[in-house]
Amino acid sequence: MQYCTACQKAIATIVIMDLSGGAVTGSQHLCPACAEQLGVAQPKVPKFSAEILEDLLGSLKGARGGGRRPTEACPGCGLTPADFRAKGRLGCPRCYETFRGDLLPLLRRIHEAESHRGRLPGRLCAEPPPPDGSGLADLRRRLEEAVRGERYEEAARLRDELRSAERGEGAKP
Amino acid sequence: MTRARGGKSPEFRPGAWLSGTGPECDIAICTRARLARNLQGFRFSPCQPEAEARALYDFVTARLQQKGLPEQLAVVDLDTLDELERTVLVERHLISRELAGKKCARGVAVDTDEAIAIMVNEEDHLRVQVFASGLQTEAVWQRTERLDDALMQRLPFATSEEFGFLTSCPTNTGTGLRLSVMLHLPGLVWAEEIDKTTNTAQKIHLAVRGLYGEGSRALGDFYQVSNQVTLGRDERQIQSDVHLAVGKIVQWEREVRQALLRGAARTRTLDRIHRSLGILERAQILTSEEALGCLSALRFGIEEDLISGFSVADVNRALLLSQPGHLQRFTQQRLQPDERDQRRAQLLREVLGCKP
Repeated sequence: MQYCTACQKAIATIVIMDLSGGAVTGSQHLCPACAEQLGVAQPKVPKFSAEILEDLLGSLKGARGGGRRPTEACPGCGLTPADFRAKGRLGCPRCYETFRGDLLPLLRRIHEAESHRGRLPGRLCAEPPPPDGSGLADLRRRLEEAVRGERYEEAARLRDELRSAERGEGAKP
Repeated sequence: MTRARGGKSPEFRPGAWLSGTGPECDIAICTRARLARNLQGFRFSPCQPEAEARALYDFVTARLQQKGLPEQLAVVDLDTLDELERTVLVERHLISRELAGKKCARGVAVDTDEAIAIMVNEEDHLRVQVFASGLQTEAVWQRTERLDDALMQRLPFATSEEFGFLTSCPTNTGTGLRLSVMLHLPGLVWAEEIDKTTNTAQKIHLAVRGLYGEGSRALGDFYQVSNQVTLGRDERQIQSDVHLAVGKIVQWEREVRQALLRGAARTRTLDRIHRSLGILERAQILTSEEALGCLSALRFGIEEDLISGFSVADVNRALLLSQPGHLQRFTQQRLQPDERDQRRAQLLREVLGCKP
């Protein structure tokens, strides 16, 4: 246990380390109040873990295209992003890809989920998730759970796994 | 006057789902599954130009009449019906008010006992509906699944691995399944416990709305409970969630009814039921709101063996025929609202076999 180096009164819970060339060159032990005063407090955890998830997935979606907030009208039906945002309705099946970036948070709000489980043509009955957890939907779900549980290291690892899995999927003919 | 048509014409006979039979039928009137389905290569119905709506309508209805479907369906083109006939279909729950009011090519494919009704060109290209009386989520889902399997063989549905069945509104995306049970809950309403029930149901993502009347106002103590979430849960999960929750509501309603029939509450409950019967037997003018309230009380009395000489099936038929569309078809007259109220009072006496 160490006292705050600034006020010398409260117990320090935050350690600020100076790093140079991979080596620790100095450190400061602070209590939360002093840390905040000095402007080095830990950023507050956003209220909704969905926001963190969004940040984590941000680069991923950008890389896949379609995940970015769309600026162009849907090539399938001509629905513009403004129309979609105003009405919350889609114009054709292709809109799901065109407006994916806007749609995911909307689906999350409505269903508290963003991917399908259940019947599909050619997969008539509901399939359980793959036992080895290798499916994309499963990875997304585990990522979401890790963020919710504030296990950020695991979340970052899952994000990377998801990214490489999606690249693999994209490479398929 | 065409009183003789009453019992014979199919439109004056309720669909099989209003037969007042099936599990928990004293409280659960009927179970309905609805699937939202769309075709690849077409815009969703609300965005279609007229020619595309026509092409889709012709394509879909031709496939629905092909041999080999597990259900035998007759297609009704809504353009061939007048407004009153369309209202009759709305009141029978075969089509939505929205479909009836649209101007584009649209229709409904129904089977003879009205257990199946597939709307074409509603908000989604197909809205597949399956009905059964009582609380039968399992049987209804099995029948829906069988029909959906056959439809998938014939129609190229728009789907994606990620989002499931693609629908016009994101509230239906995924399974496209809305499973609902229509419930008669006079006990919970009279004991003022209904808000608690609705709030609890909402917490577990179930929607509770009135079966009759606009908005959230439920007339005649009739409610509809359905799943809100269609994405991220598979059909079996939805079916078991709805079944479980409705089972609890039914149990709750039973307990409250018993409390309403004990001690000092009993006289008040009996008074309310008999007062309603008195109105149905004697009133000369009945608005649809008052009729629904009285029929609800009468149904309660029959279900709890407090009144004899009437059946739940009679009340269900009265509920159907007292609605404006049926009332006017039955009398074969266009009626002004005040004339309707007068005719409704008379018709209910006839249907229930009350001596005027």
